[in-house]
Amino acid sequence: MRTALALEKAGFAVPDTLEKLRTCLQAALEVEHLTIPVYLTGMYTIRAGTNSAAFYGIRAVVMEEMLHMTLVANLLNAVGGAPVVDSRVVAEYPARLPFSGESVPSIGLQHFSPAALKTFLRIEQPRSMTPPTAPGGGWTSIGQFYDAVREGLEHLVRTLGHDRVFTGGPERQIGPEDFYNSGGEVFPVEDLAGALLAIETVTEQGEGVHDTIWNSNETFGEERELAHWFRFNEIFTGRSYGPHDRPRDRPSGPLIDVDWDGAHPIHGDSKVADYRVYERTSAVYQQAVAFNSRYAVLLRYLDSAFNGHPRHLAPAVPTMLELRDRAAQLYRNPHPDPALAARGCFASATFEITDPQFDAADAEVARNLAAASLRTGEPVDLAGLASDSAEAFA
Amino acid sequence: MTGTVGADEAVRRRYDVVVVGGGWAGSLLAKDLGERGWQVLVLEAGNGGAETWPGYLDSLSTFYSAVAKVPNSGYRRSVAAPFPDVLDLAPVRDPEPGEREYTANGYFVQNGRLPYGTDYLRELGGAAMHWLGAVPRMHPEDFATNERFGYGRDWPITAADLQPWYARAEFEIGVAGDAQGQRELGVVTDPDYVFPMHQIPASWIDRYCTGLDGTPILDEVADEQYPLKVHSLPQARNSTPNPDYRPGPYRPSSAVGLPNYGERCVGNASCVPICPVQAKSHPLRQQARFPRTVTTATRCVVTRVRLAGPTMGGRVSGVEFRAYTDPASPVGRSYVVEAGVVVLAAHAIENARLLLFSGLANGSDQVGRNLMDHPTVLNWALADERRGPVGPFRGPGHTSGWEVFRFGEGRRRRAPFRIEIGNWGWGWATGAPMSNVATALGVGGDRQGEIRPDGVFGPELRRLLGSTIGRQLQLQIAVEQSANPGNRVTLDRRHRDATGNLRPVLTYDLDPHTRSGVYAARLVAARIFQRLDATDWTNHAPRDGVPPLGHFTHTVDGTTLDLAYSGAGHGAGTHVMGSSPRDSVVDAFQRTWEHPNLYAVGCGSMPSIGTSNPTLTMLALALRSAEQIHQDLVLDRRPADVRPADEAEVPA
Ligand SMILES: Cc1cc2nc3c(=O)[nH]c(=O)nc-3n(C[C@H](O)[C@H](O)[C@H](O)COP(=O)(O)OP(=O)(O)OC[C@H]3O[C@@H](n4cnc5c(N)ncnc54)[C@H](O)[C@@H]3O)c2cc1C
Ligand code: SF4
Repeated sequence: MRTALALEKAGFAVPDTLEKLRTCLQAALEVEHLTIPVYLTGMYTIRAGTNSAAFYGIRAVVMEEMLHMTLVANLLNAVGGAPVVDSRVVAEYPARLPFSGESVPSIGLQHFSPAALKTFLRIEQPRSMTPPTAPGGGWTSIGQFYDAVREGLEHLVRTLGHDRVFTGGPERQIGPEDFYNSGGEVFPVEDLAGALLAIETVTEQGEGVHDTIWNSNETFGEERELAHWFRFNEIFTGRSYGPHDRPRDRPSGPLIDVDWDGAHPIHGDSKVADYRVYERTSAVYQQAVAFNSRYAVLLRYLDSAFNGHPRHLAPAVPTMLELRDRAAQLYRNPHPDPALAARGCFASATFEITDPQFDAADAEVARNLAAASLRTGEPVDLAGLASDSAEAFA
Repeated sequence: MTGTVGADEAVRRRYDVVVVGGGWAGSLLAKDLGERGWQVLVLEAGNGGAETWPGYLDSLSTFYSAVAKVPNSGYRRSVAAPFPDVLDLAPVRDPEPGEREYTANGYFVQNGRLPYGTDYLRELGGAAMHWLGAVPRMHPEDFATNERFGYGRDWPITAADLQPWYARAEFEIGVAGDAQGQRELGVVTDPDYVFPMHQIPASWIDRYCTGLDGTPILDEVADEQYPLKVHSLPQARNSTPNPDYRPGPYRPSSAVGLPNYGERCVGNASCVPICPVQAKSHPLRQQARFPRTVTTATRCVVTRVRLAGPTMGGRVSGVEFRAYTDPASPVGRSYVVEAGVVVLAAHAIENARLLLFSGLANGSDQVGRNLMDHPTVLNWALADERRGPVGPFRGPGHTSGWEVFRFGEGRRRRAPFRIEIGNWGWGWATGAPMSNVATALGVGGDRQGEIRPDGVFGPELRRLLGSTIGRQLQLQIAVEQSANPGNRVTLDRRHRDATGNLRPVLTYDLDPHTRSGVYAARLVAARIFQRLDATDWTNHAPRDGVPPLGHFTHTVDGTTLDLAYSGAGHGAGTHVMGSSPRDSVVDAFQRTWEHPNLYAVGCGSMPSIGTSNPTLTMLALALRSAEQIHQDLVLDRRPADVRPADEAEVPA
């Protein structure tokens, strides 16, 4: 989150050099990632067998946030940058939502609950629902931030010429062979049109196509779906949108089954250090450490994939599955602190991923990337992968 | 898809084509004809529901909560459209010599010496809702076994005729495979062909077995040494798209009812009966792409094909069907719907049942005959403990096989066979891993029903399970069964289902050529296990007087073996294709010889099934039939004679 926070502090500005544009896009990558642990926590805390509509709804949004990260990476690569996925990307929770004005409360890790959904809604709030600030004022919304990126990009193309802006090599672009399972579609960004489409996809999947509740997935020959804010609002209100609903209407369609009790309550501010206190009485500490170390591995695969090896997304997938399986276990444990456990709190992943975790991940990532068969265009073969956190069954 | 409709809405119109059955064959054919602009009605006996995500989740949880994870365990039983289940069969304890060793209590009535030991599913999507998705093509020599090796029935067409249709079918269902490997086998002949998606990676067990590449294995029945080589299996399963595929780019399909889900196989290892993410291809995907010209009506059980009046040259006019609202009740209402062409795509056994009951297309007396399956011999062993676990229960049911026993002169002496290297441990043979847990815990008691003293718990249980489950090897070997008119489906007015429809009566056996194939396969598996230093635990002999299902003994050169087979779900042959109406039911386009607008499509048309899972070949045939139906309809609808425009004709 470092780039984004620094940029935010510098105040509203349209990037007017290539270097600033690249900084903006690195910040965008960080902002897109910010939401993922938040939404994952909401999703992972749903009790198995309950809230299936909410589960798949949140899951779809998480997948689209991953798409956004990837599209932003493509865009950054296209303009000659090099995305960095290391500790600077990871936020400390509760986290500030950059570019959104001071009034936005900080974003914590919350279990599936009305409060969590309120946070989700705040994150995805469309520009049209955000009160305008005085002209010349600061940042107001992520939509405004992307507008600035777009403006800066168009300006640079006009002043420097297209070919001096789009200098990135095509081999750095991630395509649909390597990124899948998300609404919309990832596509290589090679020119201004592609860049604008990427920005449009990122914003419209969140906010909706201009003044509708729908996203732009039709552009990719897919069925249109609700934009993020409206998906979350369905869960929050327990009611689906009807065919004639407009953005400001309350959903008027059939009820959906939302059971707020079908969740594992957590104490979202818990840190690994808190778990460590109870290391002798609870395995949660070890499990939370392992979860973070896996997450670091995941991010390092992304870093490699975004830097000239699109196929390195492949080993990220089993890592995501491992995170899912670890989460399914972790969140079912009572909080190791007896006082919190007595209040019904369960353990949770802390998403504290800092330099030591990344350093440890790098060795494993390098080893696995060498062991797997990941040449572009060839079959993917992950048989050689081995996880440092693997546990022997017998 | 425009969704499914009920009977009342379906019968309001006359259609160009009525398709009976919304399984693989019916769905692909209906989509193709609908895309050409014809008005198509698909009548489906099943209840429907899995085309929505909540409905699919319901099937998943039905499967998760089922005690026996059999292929149909994801689907509720239906009174209105009953279907067979592998649990319908039971062995007979201490059978009299020469008597049947099994009983059948379900939808099928069985009176054969051996059981037809497999099922299908009457649900929207058909049997493919629980299929595995193994889709190898047939080999050129499979189409002419009689001419080449002196057994079975030959096809009126060749593998070469089918190549372009195979390629189209592989596109439609989405096949992942290694074309080069299939070319080595002589199965794919186009030198430039690649599959839409890269092969599913080899499993750990495949790699373990690859260690034997080059090792010759003696098949003593064929009297020949066969050098082993592990080959990757083409599969209807999402994998990484191959950029060389033309016309590209290919995009894997996502789950029906939940967009952007399941676009890659992630190795959940429950493809049969149900893939949790729908990475496994199934016909609901085709249905989701039905154009508006195709109407699908569920809960409509077709009961009879109607013959048109005596001046109509043997044409059929449509079908009768019974529509129900509650699958748990036999109550329904009858309807008639008319169409230019009727296509039966209700599964080999149901197609035969419908033709027999309607009294149609049977001048050759071949309807219902030549019932074939791939009798499958299971072989199970524990890998060498010193080499550690082999990694079972990961990935699709099998990803590779040993193929050499499928081809060549050995076929004269015994039926050929394809060795599937199983990825799911002893699951099929013994119900592992659940059965291992039960055994380790001492569940089930001893012979007297007393609690067993040797159950283990805690770390010891974990160690025991890790060691026994982690080393499980299983070779499931599919043996070719050739057409035999004595293996057949008949009807008997005494045997009806609850709605009054006649149930299929099956008479089934394995002939000596097939039995020799089973025999050879068992011995070959034993030799392979030996070469792997694995301990062979295979046992097909009766235990405590109870024979395994599909048990028989067979003698070759004075040596008798206890053998047993399982069914593979590959029912075929029951409306066999041929070059003459005298001895076959349908022509090379699957059109019944006697009724020019009645088609019977599906594995029932196949004169032989080689050692390839039959669905891909069936789909190639279905696409070929769709083209022919289109031509038929065009001919029907074009004016017989168009006069040249001249002054005498006034523009309309
Ligand atoms: C466990 C199992 C695993 C298999 N694995 C493989 C494999 O790996 N590879 C392979 O190639 N094949 C496999 N098969 C075989 C494959 O499933 C079938 O070949 C294929 O599904 C047949 O398709 P179909 O459309 O002809 O018939 P079905 O799939 O049987 O479809 C027939 C449809 O017609 C409907 N119907 C039936 N009767 C009526 C009626 N009277 N009125 C209206 N509708 C009716 C049914 O409900 C059904 O929807 C497997 C089969 C089983 C059982
Ligand atoms: S292995 Fe799994 S993910 Fe793959 S097709 Fe089978 S059940 Fe689906």
